[in-house]
Amino acid sequence: MNAKKRIFAFSVVGAIAMVASACAAPPAPAAPAPAAEATAPPNPVGELAGQAKEVAASAVMTAMPPKAGGSAARAIELAKKYAGTTLNVTWEAGLQSQDPLLFSAPEFERLTGVKINVIETPFTELFSKAVADHQAGGGAYDVLNYAPTWLADLADGGVLEPLDAYIEQYMNKDDLNDLHPTYAKYQQWKGKTYGLWDDGDVFVMYYRRDWFEDDKNKADFKASYNRELTPPKTWQEWDEVCSFFTERGKANNEYGCAIQRTAGNTYLWFYEQFRSNGGRFFDEDMRATINSDIGVKTLTDMVNANKNMPPGVEKWGFVEVLQAWMDGKLGMIITWPPIGRWSEGYGLESKQLEWVPKTKVAGKVGYAVSPGGHSELAVGFMLGVSSNSKNKEAAYAFIQWLTSPEISGQRVKIPFALRDPYRMSHFNDPDYAKLWPNAAEYLKVLQEGAATGLADLGIPGAREYEEALDRAITAAYSGGDPKTALDKAAEEWNAITERIGVESQKAAYADWQARLGANAYP
Amino acid sequence: MLASIRALSDKRKGKYALVAPATVMILAIVLFPLLYAIVVSFQNIDARTAVGTFVGLKNYLDAFRDARFLNALGNTLFFTGVAVTFELLLGFILAQTLIGHLPGKRFIVPILMLPVVIAPLIVGYTWRMLWDTQYGPINQVLGWFAGRPIELVWLANPVTVWPAIFITEIWQWTPFMFLVLLAGLTAINPEYREAAEIDGASSWQTLRYITLPLIWPVMAVAILFRALDAFKVFDIVFALTNGGPGTMTETISLYAYSVGFRNFRISYMAALTLILIAIVSVAITFLWRRMSANQERMA
Repeated sequence: MNAKKRIFAFSVVGAIAMVASACAAPPAPAAPAPAAEATAPPNPVGELAGQAKEVAASAVMTAMPPKAGGSAARAIELAKKYAGTTLNVTWEAGLQSQDPLLFSAPEFERLTGVKINVIETPFTELFSKAVADHQAGGGAYDVLNYAPTWLADLADGGVLEPLDAYIEQYMNKDDLNDLHPTYAKYQQWKGKTYGLWDDGDVFVMYYRRDWFEDDKNKADFKASYNRELTPPKTWQEWDEVCSFFTERGKANNEYGCAIQRTAGNTYLWFYEQFRSNGGRFFDEDMRATINSDIGVKTLTDMVNANKNMPPGVEKWGFVEVLQAWMDGKLGMIITWPPIGRWSEGYGLESKQLEWVPKTKVAGKVGYAVSPGGHSELAVGFMLGVSSNSKNKEAAYAFIQWLTSPEISGQRVKIPFALRDPYRMSHFNDPDYAKLWPNAAEYLKVLQEGAATGLADLGIPGAREYEEALDRAITAAYSGGDPKTALDKAAEEWNAITERIGVESQKAAYADWQARLGANAYP
Repeated sequence: MLASIRALSDKRKGKYALVAPATVMILAIVLFPLLYAIVVSFQNIDARTAVGTFVGLKNYLDAFRDARFLNALGNTLFFTGVAVTFELLLGFILAQTLIGHLPGKRFIVPILMLPVVIAPLIVGYTWRMLWDTQYGPINQVLGWFAGRPIELVWLANPVTVWPAIFITEIWQWTPFMFLVLLAGLTAINPEYREAAEIDGASSWQTLRYITLPLIWPVMAVAILFRALDAFKVFDIVFALTNGGPGTMTETISLYAYSVGFRNFRISYMAALTLILIAIVSVAITFLWRRMSANQERMA
């Protein structure tokens, strides 16, 4: 074959392959107190908030005083024994890391003499780096940041150190009771405590109060749907309200709603809507049931809902939703708590939040739990101690200090931090409630969200289950048949279960349901 | 005599001593990981099992039963075939165009080369913004021509996602083909073409019987280099689609990354990468032999 023929052959093969791919592979049916004894302690959180705005600074400056005998004070006493030691701490890279870099780490070092080395790591690698270090027997990390759904894998893999003995010896038990009961359920695996809760991630439905209170909108909506225009309480109501606002505003590039739909996290909204619709992940034999009628209906509804959202929403992530929301172009969104703070302009003057669009919705935002009455307790963060750490006690002291009511109470108010309220003292903090005019309402909804929220599936292999489902959902968004997509995902789920072990997964799933109770299935 | 033999022996030992560090280094960073990967691929190491036990060929058998792996393999072959073909054709046309005395050639060639020096990940993320449905300039420009807003979801639509990936890939790597082929064309003695012209050969005949046979050795190397690079593509697809929608654009490298570095199934990832190495080695050997045979025939 000469050169000409070869080039021709390549082109023909390429063209055939392109056609074959378009025909045969359709959308693969297939993204934060000083110790009691510390004298005249500086207030770094106050200084940080001072970069933001007066109201924020004044509120944080009067944060809860340190409590003698509290967990923070005890942690400082313990850590002082290790003055001069350096702790390596993994933390999600980017905005998340600004808390330890600018506040927690320098403050802990000032109080105890223990130096904190913050190792910024992309979220997806927090898991694999921790496992890789453990399997290599390295001890490169002392404190590990991890998502709660990874706990089973990390504990079973021996990556995490059980903390019960430390808690028993050093923690003030009243501070354990201060943790919101829902988040307290997450900290154990097979009867042992492997982490301390550190981030009250829960989805919030943010809506434009001014749109809902507009007389013309109210009258027109009632004429169309024969009911009052109110924030949706069911997914059907969500679709109706979204459709109504989209029809009304589309010409001005305004849409009734948007939810991030790009690959990576879109499974979280399925988890939420699926279980609110009555769906369950597995049957008694541990066979996946995400492709049940409820699953197919949920995914079909999600695909149909995209039609009322902005064009290209299938590729929208957190930032795209944030951008459009802050620009006043959306009527409703369902996302994580920080957007609620930024919507009111809280902290947007800080250097760390320069990238956040200026808000056009301050004073116009209402809050509610997601339609269906249950918000997803989406992702979150826990802090644990590496089993390979050479400074386990110091590492534990650091995480006890970080998550203590006093310190965590300040950290959740750092304007640019992404840690969200998770203790009763956070939800009831009168200073937090003054950070913007309706901050009290915001805290109330976060607390309600935590109480009635739905936990992410937290059994061994959780990441693999999530990714398989996520791929199915994005395939359906791009035109694939929802049933086919979910059947394929269910097959993958069953394969994951069989690989890990059906009986052990059955036990883990039963344990997860028993621990989470109504936060597993409503 | 004995002294001279001894001196020769010392000289030889000296040579070995000089070569030894490089040899040890190569063995340590190439051979050892390869052998270790082979060992690991017969075990069952994952996030929960640090000390692997022997599982025989299980990982390899699982791979060939793994629909996602086979899908990724198909996608990778498809991507390689189409991308390299278009890059070759466009690169050759560009090289032919710029081989003569063109005004501004000194500026055009360096500008054409710019995409090659940009990191593929940056190229991917930049083009991702260009393909954006609402704010991307591509939809805007198309909208000007269409006289109405264009809202193509390039990277989530099954019909447009592959073309979007190919355009991005071809934009970056055609200049490489162009440069290599331009060098090849420049090296051809102009007297051959002049002789052909005097003999009355048409432009097509000159291209077919003079230029292509003479440039073939260079072209073959360029194809081989690009095909190898395209076969292990990761960055551009990762940035543009991360393998989506679903697994429609997932390549072997993306799948192996997901298996190994997201889910920590180390042994299975080792098996996948060794299968990949085997495929590439066989393909290279086959292609190289064919190309060498052709070259000998042409000579």
